[in-house]
Amino acid sequence: MSRRKVGLREHVEAVATGLKYLVKPNRITVYYPEETIGLGERYRGMIHYDWDKCISCSLCAMICPADAMKMYKKKGEKKARPGINYQRCIFCGYCVDICPTNALSFTNVHDVAYESLEEMVYPPERFVEEWVSPAEKEGAKRLKVVFDEERGLVHVPE
Amino acid sequence: MVGEILEIVFSPQFFGPVVFPGLVTVLLVLLTIIWVERKIAARVQMRVGPLYVLKPLGGAIQMLADGLRFFFQEFIIPETVDKLPFVAAPVVAMTFAILPFAFIPVAPDFIPYSVPYSMPVFLGLNTVIPLTIIAMAWGSNNKFSIQGGIREAYMTIAYEAALFTAALAMAITYGTLDFAEMVEAQGVPGILVNPLSAAVFFVAMLMSAGKLPFDIVEGEQEIVAGPFTEYSGIAFGLTMGIGYVQLYGFTLAFTLMYLSGWEPLIPFLHDIYPALGGVMLFAKAYLLMVFIVFLRSVYGRYRLDQALRLGWRRLFPLSLLSVFFAVVLRVIGVV
Amino acid sequence: MSSSVMKARLLSREGDESVYEVFIGPQHPASGHMRFIVRLQGDVIVGVDPDIGWVHRTMEKLAETKEALKAIPLFERMTIIDSQNVTIGYVRALEKLLGVEPPPRARYLRTLLSEMNRIASHLYGMGLSGIFVNHSTMFMWCFGDREVWIQLAEELTGARLTHAYSIPGGVRRDLPQGFAEKARKAIRYMRRRLEEYRKIFFDNPQVRARYEGVGVLKSHEARRLGVVGPNLRASGVRYDARLLGDYGVYDELDFVVPTAEEGDAMARLLLRGEEIRQSMRIIEQVLERIPEGPILAEKYLRLIPPKLREPALKEGRIKFPGIFANLKIPEGEAVARAEMGHGEIFYHVVSDGSKKPYRVRVVTPSFRNVVLFRYLPPGHRFMDFPAIYGSLDYFPPESDR
Repeated sequence: MSRRKVGLREHVEAVATGLKYLVKPNRITVYYPEETIGLGERYRGMIHYDWDKCISCSLCAMICPADAMKMYKKKGEKKARPGINYQRCIFCGYCVDICPTNALSFTNVHDVAYESLEEMVYPPERFVEEWVSPAEKEGAKRLKVVFDEERGLVHVPE
Repeated sequence: MVGEILEIVFSPQFFGPVVFPGLVTVLLVLLTIIWVERKIAARVQMRVGPLYVLKPLGGAIQMLADGLRFFFQEFIIPETVDKLPFVAAPVVAMTFAILPFAFIPVAPDFIPYSVPYSMPVFLGLNTVIPLTIIAMAWGSNNKFSIQGGIREAYMTIAYEAALFTAALAMAITYGTLDFAEMVEAQGVPGILVNPLSAAVFFVAMLMSAGKLPFDIVEGEQEIVAGPFTEYSGIAFGLTMGIGYVQLYGFTLAFTLMYLSGWEPLIPFLHDIYPALGGVMLFAKAYLLMVFIVFLRSVYGRYRLDQALRLGWRRLFPLSLLSVFFAVVLRVIGVV
Repeated sequence: MSSSVMKARLLSREGDESVYEVFIGPQHPASGHMRFIVRLQGDVIVGVDPDIGWVHRTMEKLAETKEALKAIPLFERMTIIDSQNVTIGYVRALEKLLGVEPPPRARYLRTLLSEMNRIASHLYGMGLSGIFVNHSTMFMWCFGDREVWIQLAEELTGARLTHAYSIPGGVRRDLPQGFAEKARKAIRYMRRRLEEYRKIFFDNPQVRARYEGVGVLKSHEARRLGVVGPNLRASGVRYDARLLGDYGVYDELDFVVPTAEEGDAMARLLLRGEEIRQSMRIIEQVLERIPEGPILAEKYLRLIPPKLREPALKEGRIKFPGIFANLKIPEGEAVARAEMGHGEIFYHVVSDGSKKPYRVRVVTPSFRNVVLFRYLPPGHRFMDFPAIYGSLDYFPPESDR
């Protein structure tokens, strides 16, 4: 890689490149929360638990790297059920991948916010709740990401 | 009684330094030019910039929100600083940044203080500001600030000589040291008559106002904020503004000397009130400022010794050459 | 350079009255997570003392307390911007202990993600080199263009940065529909952008003035100090852990490991741009040549019951066999090297036959490059210090583990 000499011409080229983007900007900003990105099917978002499919094998709790999944056993019940602690979850997906009955699955909701730390601990009864993205509940417009040769990423309405 | 007050307010001696192009306009320019700088940088850099303060206007009064925040923030004076320079220096700096506007003529018959040497007075008043910045640096009693003060001292010595000499070249070209007479004498804009002097003045102006690629004094990546490190609250707002006020003053001077000032004078505005005839002057200066803040998106920062080398080995000899060129033009009789 | 001069540059000196100490500490706009004690005489640096350890998270010890498989997301967080390359070494070491080899398609997929991460990591490094001379446009452009590659990685693995993609035996997800076309668009976009980076940054005379001739590292010194990665290759030494043939399919692909001769900061930056081009070439070849087949080794694939395995494979993902929750690592030691964007990473895993490893030793590339902070700056001016920092692409969390 030889290096060429630089002088006044390169100053002008740099300024011209800047001017080109000043005149035709390429913004990739998503105006959250008026708009939100609709995430793909395979996105590792919040985890959904299916009460009926679960066989209480505890494999999810055994493999969780962050000790976020714990088995909850109520007194008098034979089987324990998993609950999750979102303070610890790192969304690696090992639990979803190991569940032998596909009781755990990923949703594509990621922007949930909590107001207290206690809310982030989900015993099995709360774990079955359906997830809704707060932005979409307020009426955000869903955009999807499209690859573009000129602009890189473009966000278009779905 | 009211008539007398109105007469005072609309006299050039008051209106010039206080309203246009003085204090009030300076504040408006500060308000908008920083917003323009951030929006331009954002446009080039694939993002949006400040948006939400007044959303229909695209966040135009963002600096008003910032300024108000500075007013309400506590101005902390650490115990270890030298109190008099620490507190007084930003005020003196801003005063001497706004004072030169008393010598800027806006229209042929609207000159606040008609002196036959307004150009050297203007440049000279601006030269006091680096002294105040060194006072700020010394008073802050902080290693980063002292480094910043030393850089300011070096930079001042580097560009001041070139700045004055380039302006001197234009004074020789037009045969006068007064801004108003310089504009009168410009048939062809000064930038075409003596482009060398214009180029030198432009680069020296960048160095003086501390705009990229010469924002060495407040080199964030090495010395945090240089002389302004210890300031918070309204004093920080003042220090942030000094560079822009200097830039505004210098672009006005550049427009007067090189871009034929207030020509073409808009007749009906001039008839309503003489100062309004200076709208073209203001527009040209503002466009020049927009270009200068655009350079922020293209350049990084030069190293201190590279900037000094540029000032002494390139700019100063070129400015002397421009003086020689101006003398030649006068002797030949072109101007 | 004689060894006494080298020693003088490496040892710290104390107590000189004319020496002015500046603490570029952790609380500083441009220090990262570390502290430098810079000693100046006037404007010239006479000594630098890098003070590391501010982000030490005891990862090697934590790996001893977790089962082997659980340490994969842990090690990923050493250099989260480059997460596939950080974990592939550990996964290879585990595979050597477990005696399992990934199938060819899995190796191609690992290579694909490795190169995508390498591009993202180099863009991060180039962005830092921009902001250290206050060139905010280069910073924002590099980080904006990283979004393209991170989006591609999200389509492949499901997460933007924390991929956790490789597991002993293979990978967790297969290529989704339409991935090859998107990747090709991204590559064409990136090629255009590299040209624009050249115009506004690499050929910008002001940036050249800051980076050219600064922080020159001669090749014999680089070898003696033990630096790795683009810092080593820019000094003329062609060493790349990808060429060792231990992981991925690099020996089947046609690419060049670029080197440079000058060894100064500009050479390091330009070399990263060259490596991005080579990584894009590798991605194109991988997408053309990837064979069909399973993405997890047969030894583990057959442990998954078929009515669970087939629907998952049709969707393009795998299920873990139940044994992964109780995986016993056979006794022994294994060593693996991988090439991250920052350099070569080295793993040494010692197992005593139980589920948790007895010892995991990681030598990260930034840890090996820290010595350059002590060695390169003396003799330069103070404002060259951020320039040297920006050109080394140093990542403190990776160095401190």
